[in-house]
Order: sequence, then C-alpha cells, then structure tokens
Amino acid sequence: MAKELRQIAIYGKGGIGKSTTTQNLTAGLAESGKKVMVVGCDPKADSTRLLLGGLAQRTVLDTLREEGEDIDLDSILKEGFKGTLCVESGGPEPGVGCAGRGIITSIGLLERLGAYTDDLDYVFYDVLGDVVCGGFAMPIREGKAKEIYIVASGEMMALYAANNISKGIARYARQGGVRLGGIICNSRKVDREYEVVKAFAEELGTQLIHFVPRDNVVQRAEIRKKTVIDFDPEAAQAEEYRTLARNIENNTNFVIPKPLTQERLEEILMEYGVIDI
Amino acid sequence: MATSTINLSTPEVSVREIRLGSITGFHGNASELVECSQCGKIKDKKRSFSQCLGCSTAQAACVTCLIQDAAVISHGPVGCSTCLHEYAFTYRVNADLRGVSNPTQRKVYSTNLEEKDTIYGGAVKLENTIREVYQRAKPNVIFVLTTCAAGIIGDDVESVTNRLEQELNIPIVAIFCEGFRSKIWTTGFDAGYHGIARKLIKPAEKKRNVINVVNFWGSDIFNEWFKRFGYEANYLTPYSTLDSLQHSSEAVCTVQACATLGSYLASSLDQVYGVPELKNSPPYGIAQTDRWFRELGSILHKEDEVEEFLKEQREKYLPKIEELREKLRGKTAYVTAGASHGHSLLAILRELGMEATGAAIFHHDPIYDSHTTDADTLSHTVSDYGDIKNYTVCNKQEFELVNVLNRIRPDILFARHGGMTLWGAKFGIPSLLIGDEHFGMGYEGLVNYGEQILATIENDEFVKNLEKHAINPYTKWWLEQEPYTFLKGGKN
Repeated sequence: MAKELRQIAIYGKGGIGKSTTTQNLTAGLAESGKKVMVVGCDPKADSTRLLLGGLAQRTVLDTLREEGEDIDLDSILKEGFKGTLCVESGGPEPGVGCAGRGIITSIGLLERLGAYTDDLDYVFYDVLGDVVCGGFAMPIREGKAKEIYIVASGEMMALYAANNISKGIARYARQGGVRLGGIICNSRKVDREYEVVKAFAEELGTQLIHFVPRDNVVQRAEIRKKTVIDFDPEAAQAEEYRTLARNIENNTNFVIPKPLTQERLEEILMEYGVIDI
Repeated sequence: MATSTINLSTPEVSVREIRLGSITGFHGNASELVECSQCGKIKDKKRSFSQCLGCSTAQAACVTCLIQDAAVISHGPVGCSTCLHEYAFTYRVNADLRGVSNPTQRKVYSTNLEEKDTIYGGAVKLENTIREVYQRAKPNVIFVLTTCAAGIIGDDVESVTNRLEQELNIPIVAIFCEGFRSKIWTTGFDAGYHGIARKLIKPAEKKRNVINVVNFWGSDIFNEWFKRFGYEANYLTPYSTLDSLQHSSEAVCTVQACATLGSYLASSLDQVYGVPELKNSPPYGIAQTDRWFRELGSILHKEDEVEEFLKEQREKYLPKIEELREKLRGKTAYVTAGASHGHSLLAILRELGMEATGAAIFHHDPIYDSHTTDADTLSHTVSDYGDIKNYTVCNKQEFELVNVLNRIRPDILFARHGGMTLWGAKFGIPSLLIGDEHFGMGYEGLVNYGEQILATIENDEFVKNLEKHAINPYTKWWLEQEPYTFLKGGKN
C-alpha cells in the first residue's frame, strides 16, 4: 500500500527561526527512518543549508532560467542529512521581479518533474516569513500542503504575525483541505513565554505542539552548517527536536484556526504580563 | 481658477477617473448628464454584468505607432500587443490623405515577457530589446508601452529608458498604460501624450505660423481652412515626426478634432508650453462651426477674416444643406460612438433635421483638462438642438446596444467604431460608419454627411436581406428584458 504523503508548510514571522526549526525537526524525522523532502520557498535560498552542510545546490529558478524547462531533477534535488531531499526554489535579487510568482512556478515545475515520489513520507515547505502576496500562499493552495505549523515566540510581534498567518489559513481552509496543526514555540526567553503561547494557541483553537527552549548549541551547530542532531546528537536540545518531530508524527489535532481580534490578542499579552501597563 | 490637471513631473499620468471624474455607467436624458457634470455631482453606475472592455494600451499605441519615425515596444507578454498591427493598416490606408506618399512599415515590437521574466524582472530583457530595436529599425524615437504584467512585478521601466536614452542618444519614452489602472479606455491617449509632453516637446525659441491639430487620421481639411488665414496645420500625433512634435510648442494655437482625444495634449501645450488651446468643441454642426471659427479668429486676431469666411461658407453650402434637410426631416437615428465624437455626430444629424432616438457613448468626461464648459460637446449639442432621450454611457456594452436597437428600430444607426454597425445590419437597420472624423466638419461636412446618410437609408436592400438570414447571438429572453437591467446604483 502506498504511504500517505504528509505535506507540511511552516510559516512564521521573519527571523523567528523557521528554517532552523524546520531543518532540526526534519533531521529528527529522518533519523527515525522517515523519507523527507524539504522545499525552501525563500528567495534567499538558505532553507536547507544545515541539512546539506552548506549552500551547495542550484535553485530551481536559476536552473530554469539558465537551462529552460528541460531540467534534470538531480541537478536541483540534493540529498542531505540521512537521506533528506533538499530543494531550493530560489528567486530574484531583492528589489526586482516577483518572488511570489517564482514560488508558484517553482512548485509547479517540481510537480511536473516528478519530485514527489511515492516513497516520500513528508514534504516540508519552508516559506518566507511574511505572506506578502498570493505566491507565498501557494504551498497551502490547490491542495498542496494540508498541514501548517506556525513558529512563534512569546514576543508580541511574533504572535501578531502568527495571528495574521492564521487569517490566511482560515481563508484557504474554507475552500480547501488545509488545517492548522499547531504552534511551535521557539523560545526567546520572554516572561511567562510558555503560558502566553499556550494560551494564544488555545484561543486560536489549536495547540502548542512543542516548546523548544533556547539553547546556544543551536548557534554552534549553525556555524558549522549542521543541525543539532547532526552536530551533537547527545545534546539536550537534540532531544527537544526529536520530541517535536515525534509530536508532529503523532499529531491528530488539525483545525481551522479562529483568528483573534487585535483587542483580544492584546488582552492575552497583558494578562500574561508581556505588555507592561 | 481650477487647479491644473496636468502634472508632467511624475512618470505616470493621472487616470481620468481621478483627474476628470470620468464615468462609464449612465442612463437617462443627456440634459441630466450635462447638468450633473457641470455642477460636479456625477457618480458612476455599476454593471453587475459586463462584456469585455478595451485596454488603455491600444490608445497609447494609437498616439505613438503612427508617428512616422518612431518605433514602439510593448513591454509585456506578447498577447498585449495583439491588436497593435492594426495601426500598420491604418497608417498605410490613410497615408494618402496626409500626403505621405511612401508609408513605411510600422515598427512595433514586444519584449515577449515570459513566466521566468516575471520572476526575475523584465528590465534586462527590455534593455536588450531597446538596443535591438535601435539597431534594426533605426528610429528617431522609441516608445515603451507598459503592460499589466510589467506593472504588477514593478519593473522600473523609467530608469531603463532613461539609461538607454543616454547610451543610444535618441529619446526613449516610457508610457505607463497598464490596463488595470483605469477603466476609462481613453486614459491610454493621456498616457501617450503625457510621455510626449514630458520627454519630447521642447520649449519654443520662436513662434511660427502653424496651428497644432490633435486628431486621428482624417482628411486634410485643416490646411485648406488655415491657408486662408496664413497658417499651416501641424497634425499631432498620427503622421507627425519627432521633429514636428518637438517643435509643436512653436505653434500659435492648438485645435482638436475630438475633445476626449485631444484634451490632455492640448492642455499640456497650453499650460506647460504656452500654446493657447482653442477650447471650443470641434466644428460639427452650424452653431458649433461658427463658435469654433470665431474663437480661432479671436486667437489669431483675425475676427473680420473669419466672419468673411463664414459668410462665404453659408452662401456656398446653406442651399444644399436645406435641400438635404427636406429629404431627411423626421428620420430617426441612433448613435454609438466614443465621447466626444459621438456628441458631434448627434449635432450633425440634428442639424440635418433628423431626430436622435438615443445614443450609446463609451464613456463620459464631465469636464476636460481645459476646465471650461466651452469644451463640453454634449452640452453644446443639447443647448443647440434640444435634449436626447435614451442617452447611455456604456463602454461598448454590445448586449445593451442590441437590446436597445431591437426596441427603437431607428431609420439609421451611426457607428464610430469598427464592428458596431453589424448589430444594426442584423436587424435590417441601415448602418453608417465613417472613419474619417474630418468628413463631417464645417459647413461642407454637413453636405458630405447628409449625402452619405441619404445614400445609406435609400440603399437598404442588403441589410433587409441580411436581417432575414442573420442569426442573433442574444436570446429572446435577453431581448425581452429591460436593456439596463444590469446597470445599478450610482444616482447621478
């Protein structure tokens, strides 16, 4: 029997740690024997660096531009840590063209080239932080990613962004099958962070799927172009990512989020002392 | 005094909706529309169903492709330039009217933006295209027309044209005519003129005995008229050259064949380059012809000569006009045309004693850039010849036109745009399309038109036969509905 492919999109405020979290958790899934593909949907093309040990491969769009439609899949799909398949959509230089259109083209091309093989368990889309136009919503449109996780912290702007992203998810959820699977807290060590993110997640109608504590080993691993699991498998932080991977593997809680009003969001933040009054 | 609507400091022209308050939806009496326009209370109606509309790019192309020594590049997907070849035809067939004995091939190109260009930006492709066009066509000026795709991805077209202008040492003009910017199709004319006024026209160093004529490609009647007063016509922009455009500031005044066409260029020449604009509506119908020539006389300080000219015209043409009136009196006509030429057609037919049973005019400008009611062609035709019932503003909604024609069944349909006469013909209504806008001007124009109208009404055998065999694409259901069922809201 063919395996059920789970397509997952990771969203969150710019700089919150989406790429780091995605790669560390996919390393956890790969370690447990899952076949995972990571599609970087950021013009900077830095979503698979830790899995590949550097910015090695050419992006889909650069290849398309230089070689035309007749692309060899191997030239853009590189194997990284424990057999993870890595591909970067790529995109234009800052300030020119349309990166959103690039994601649409790139994902369409990956499908046509047959990148989504039957042996895959997971495809992760790591998307640019601010969903600024239709192109960045591509992974959750047209029945691609069915599950979404939002990376957030207890900081106000991170929760604000997460709430905004939920509005987008709610829109597409009504017309397609996309659902929110939970909030991943990437801790910034703000006051009562666990409580505030948990409360926020519950208010949205979802769950805090895992609280990833802040640990400098992440930084040390990143400098060496590695995930924590790869760099220091025995570290406590590696175990945190394994837990996150397990929680996602076993998750059955998928909802259409109920975005908060601005007032309600601020109330929660005040309640947990994030905003001093 | 009203603030100027001409602002040449920005690359993009302000669209008509904002600049002039233009609309595309109205149904009622023409007098109502005039009154609302003049007291500043005009409000657009919305169509809950609409057929396809024109795109500004075609109008921007109209004012650039026919410049003799220009090349035009459509910066966008190749489909955006599908209709531009029509100007090659127009240029060739009308060249004789303007004494262009050897009409050269039109130089029209597309950057052919493809999907990958929309991702990475089309600037490099545009640069290469401009260089290639320069090499191949050796034009004296290059116009770059923008499209929706280039606009959405934010290509910096102005920087590219400025840079290439330095490199190639010829003027390269970016014209911002993205279709989505305006639903008033004539915004495309303004976009073209904006680029011309901004980048090509030079401040005058001297004055010459020429009069600018903003027009399409009609017969050369203006030279005939102006010669008598010691002036020559400088036709803008079809069949002009880079040189004649650059020096259009040296003219003593600017006149227009159609106010909706000429408004922006004539007012730019007036307000920015000091060339007085003859503001009165163009000379169609006796009353308007007299007003127009008198304003011309006052600008040229030749009032007496103008009176003498008008006297001669009356003596020469009035008996013939009276004869035609006898034959046409009481005949009914429906007009479908753009503003303001449509208003002029309404003047012509009523001057000839006919009755206007309605009109479908493609948009309405409550005021032109000259900011004077002297230029209000619709108000002139209403005050000179009376109100017009069934006056519709309808951006070429053919489904409404067919419905109305079926009810009104006029003796003749006047159409201004290709493809519109067939709707009359299918109902057996003799239909007349005259492409030459200058054909109906002045006293002789009334004779010209009157004779054509008579010939059209008398020779109706073809359309009567056609009616018997024609298949109408619209259903019986639709023809039984009120024609303006889908036109809602917006109390004017």
